Amino acid sequence: MRTSRVCLLFFVVLMAACKKSGPAPADSAPSGGTAAPAAGDSAGAIRIGATLPLTGAESRIGGFYKEGYDLAFAEAAQNGGIEVGGKKMKVELTLLDDTSTQATAASLADRLINSDKVSFLLGTYATNLVEAQSVVAEQNGIPYVNGGGAATAIYKRGYKWVFGLLAPVELLAESIMKWVDTQQQAGKLPKPATIALLWENTSHGKDFRKGVTDFATKTKNYTVVVDESFELSGKDFSALLGKVKAANADLFLADAHLPDYITMQRQYVTAGLCHKIQSYGARGSEKQAAEALGKKNVEYVLSAVWWSSQLAGKNPEAKKFVELFKSKNGGRSPEWYQALGYETARALFTAISQAGSTDREAVRAKLASLKIPSLLPGGELSFPAEFGQQVHAPFVVQQNLPDGSAPVIAPPEVALGQGIAPNPGCAK
Amino acid sequence: MERFLELVIASVLLAGLYATMAYGLGLIYGVLRIVNLNHGGMIMAGAYAGWYLHSEFGIDPYLALLPVGTVAFLVGMGMYRLLVHRLPRGAAGGVQSLLLLFGVWLVMRNIAYLLFTGNDQTVHTTYATRAITLAGAQVSVNRLAVFGVALATLGILHILLTKTYFGKALRAVAQNPESCTLQGIRVDRIYALTFGLGTALASVAGLLGATLFPFNPSFGAAELLKSFVVVVLGGLGSVAGTAIAALILAAVEVFPTAIPGFPTYLTAALGFVLLVLVLVLRPGGLFGQRVLG
Amino acid sequence: MSLPPWISRRALIGLGAACAVLAVGPLLHDNLYLHNLLTLTFIGIAAALAWNWLGGYLGQVSFGHAAMFGLGGFVAARGEISLHLPMVFAWIFGGLVAGAYALLWGHPTLRLRGPYFSIATIGVGEATRLVGTYWDWLTGGSSGLSLPMHPNLKYTLYWYGLALAALALAASYALRRSSLGLSLLAIKSDVDAASDVGVGAVRLQDLVLFLSGAMMGVCGGFYASYFSYIEPGDMFGFDRSISWVLMGVIGGIGTIAGPALGAVIFVLLRQYLIASYPQLYLGLYGILLVLVILFEPLGLTGIALRLFHRVRPDLSVTGVAGED
Repeated sequence: MRTSRVCLLFFVVLMAACKKSGPAPADSAPSGGTAAPAAGDSAGAIRIGATLPLTGAESRIGGFYKEGYDLAFAEAAQNGGIEVGGKKMKVELTLLDDTSTQATAASLADRLINSDKVSFLLGTYATNLVEAQSVVAEQNGIPYVNGGGAATAIYKRGYKWVFGLLAPVELLAESIMKWVDTQQQAGKLPKPATIALLWENTSHGKDFRKGVTDFATKTKNYTVVVDESFELSGKDFSALLGKVKAANADLFLADAHLPDYITMQRQYVTAGLCHKIQSYGARGSEKQAAEALGKKNVEYVLSAVWWSSQLAGKNPEAKKFVELFKSKNGGRSPEWYQALGYETARALFTAISQAGSTDREAVRAKLASLKIPSLLPGGELSFPAEFGQQVHAPFVVQQNLPDGSAPVIAPPEVALGQGIAPNPGCAK
Repeated sequence: MERFLELVIASVLLAGLYATMAYGLGLIYGVLRIVNLNHGGMIMAGAYAGWYLHSEFGIDPYLALLPVGTVAFLVGMGMYRLLVHRLPRGAAGGVQSLLLLFGVWLVMRNIAYLLFTGNDQTVHTTYATRAITLAGAQVSVNRLAVFGVALATLGILHILLTKTYFGKALRAVAQNPESCTLQGIRVDRIYALTFGLGTALASVAGLLGATLFPFNPSFGAAELLKSFVVVVLGGLGSVAGTAIAALILAAVEVFPTAIPGFPTYLTAALGFVLLVLVLVLRPGGLFGQRVLG
Repeated sequence: MSLPPWISRRALIGLGAACAVLAVGPLLHDNLYLHNLLTLTFIGIAAALAWNWLGGYLGQVSFGHAAMFGLGGFVAARGEISLHLPMVFAWIFGGLVAGAYALLWGHPTLRLRGPYFSIATIGVGEATRLVGTYWDWLTGGSSGLSLPMHPNLKYTLYWYGLALAALALAASYALRRSSLGLSLLAIKSDVDAASDVGVGAVRLQDLVLFLSGAMMGVCGGFYASYFSYIEPGDMFGFDRSISWVLMGVIGGIGTIAGPALGAVIFVLLRQYLIASYPQLYLGLYGILLVLVILFEPLGLTGIALRLFHRVRPDLSVTGVAGED
């Protein structure tokens, strides 16, 4: 009989909860949608939801993406909204913090769709979060455009509603290897060369590994002598680096996220390691890294990224974005994170505009057939169906120089520098 | 041979780190028979204290060891009087104290989160990437210093436990609290002091950890887990055993990296497997049950 | 039909009524978010109760139950993907494997009491997580597994979840109130004495552990079907193990329905806080945990019973839940 009482109590709590979570609470957008208009206005507005890792392991980069989203929404607001079927409609962003955890990213997406009733979703950042979150978008049949998930695993699932602006990591690895290969052919690197390959144990890292090993098998001029994974947000890489040291490879290729890059590079330098070529995949040129490690300790690191502000010279869309960003941010130069955030939001806006309606299916169809000039390298944005609606734009390869700059060294059509190999720092 | 030497050096240095992390946990368990789950919280607090003093006032983390340790000592005493003191001791109280201190840890994590956000922080010292050559191997100065602190702590604890009145009283209390009360030893006071000391050691470990690794409010969780392995291996409550156990754990994690084909990723799991095996096969620890010293 | 004497008619009616109302509830509103939230709550309830069989009834507090949750989830998902098992069979298959795994590590470790056992479970949980994130063949490694998506499946899972939670609640009741419950209490208070008077302590502990692990595994399978995508870092995560400890202890450790109450409040509070104050819920739960341990060992259930007692002084609160 005590149980029945507890059951009853339990039931009362459930009912109380039902009352509470009816309409979305007023404070549901604490992290500030930029274009939050006065209350009466929102009837004609398009509601767009997004989560970003504003706290937790990816918080720094989450903040960069927020700058990109904010810029796109501010621009739309300045233009009086976006044009849909002949009239201007305001766009409204509900942005929540997914704390860099998968379960939260997924349940917040559910909340945005079913409680806050947004019509479209913009993605979060980091492959593992997008992996979990995109499922919710697909289940609910809501267009989901993301600029933060690069692993092919996301797009191989055959989802209809998920669109990605980041080209696959396999391609990233291949871009680096292609540049390395030109150096090898120029006789600057041993032939065959040995590779120490470290990858974070995520879909991102697995793709990187596949890109490098595929290239090595294809060209037959490279042997992978260390092939090890490590845990995301690991702390102590000394055992792993000891193994790298013992292998005495020519190339050090790692795939890591920003915090892990900083930690690992610190231990790498301390252990007295130096390789003819060193790369952390997409990381390397970040200002935070140079600040945390000292400029000297990131010299000659190679990185391949999805965008660089140096593209402004060749690409009019990129130029427009860089100028807009600088004017809003006191002259500070954007990194690829902000550019991808901005472009992600712009891709969705354009698709809505071109669809001429806010109907989900119409916008989805428009996204699938979208083909617009873009700030991305290659100058064009489309979501090809044969790659599971993932953009296949080229990468830009950069190399850190002692003066703190990181010029683009490949591909040749946008390169501003030659690139240096082998690493002159190792001679000492 | 050179590789072997490198592995030995790596193990020894790692052992230093593990030992500093585990002393506090082992000491509190040895005397109070309480599993201090807030150990992780104090490691985190120590890291933030060191970072704050360094970035705001430019105080070197190694100079901050003493003041931070002292404050943590007082915090630990307060925590004992305020919370732990209210619990029943002994086997029955074991799980309750574990849960209580776990609650305290959650609260501390949240306070750190509110104060400093969830972002990763790093302590940038000038010697962060400096290294010297030792027996042909490149060795981080910072890690050597941590190892030095670990050795010094071991020495100080040994002297404290064997040579001072406090230490003798503490060992007596650990063996038999009831008869100590009869002998006129103020058991509760010893408990409070021990809890304070254990807490101080945790904060020192956290401060040292902050000089090596980036940290955020969840810092301390992985360190707590490693500390468990060390303390259990060494026999809960034995200081010298703790040091040797730290060496064993470090070796178990470092040496398999030399086995061709063994994924380095899984070395971290070896420690936990060892933990379970030792608990099941030799619940008193590898060296049998000992009472401090 | 006559009931065994340990089943109280009022409990039966109470459970039946609650289930009936919750079963027809979704037909009365169209709030999909709430609907999904309740489904998640049901898994929370079932898992917290399963944790309590070991943590509360036997007093063996586990910090590693995510090992069984994750294993069950991945085995069920593999069963659906590779063996094409029907969903419910896949869950049961996952549950059986998880229960067997629990026995594998639990049979030797259950000899340990109190904090020793808790520490061992932390080791088991972490080792399982590391192997799980590495083991591509079963878990898909860090990329996880995606299940085929069926339209409306998520909506229907509400009733499966309700059934699962009701089953767990009924099992909790049976484990406590049947003659088995007394033996478990005896083991909890003194395992050696219990063996001396002829309680088959080892076998009973193994049985409870198996049931607890199997229910966890079924919950994991359910979770896999619910999200259609599972990833080992999340499924085996330490935070997951912790959440059941919190639900159990705060709801009322060792009571029949307390952990269910703890689960309801945990899930709802978390969802409510997470959009506006992410991560704050952990601290709140920390404070609750400290207060419960210091002042009210029976947690929210204890508080609720006191309140009832105040309203109906004729009902005695002593001897609550057959608590020792």
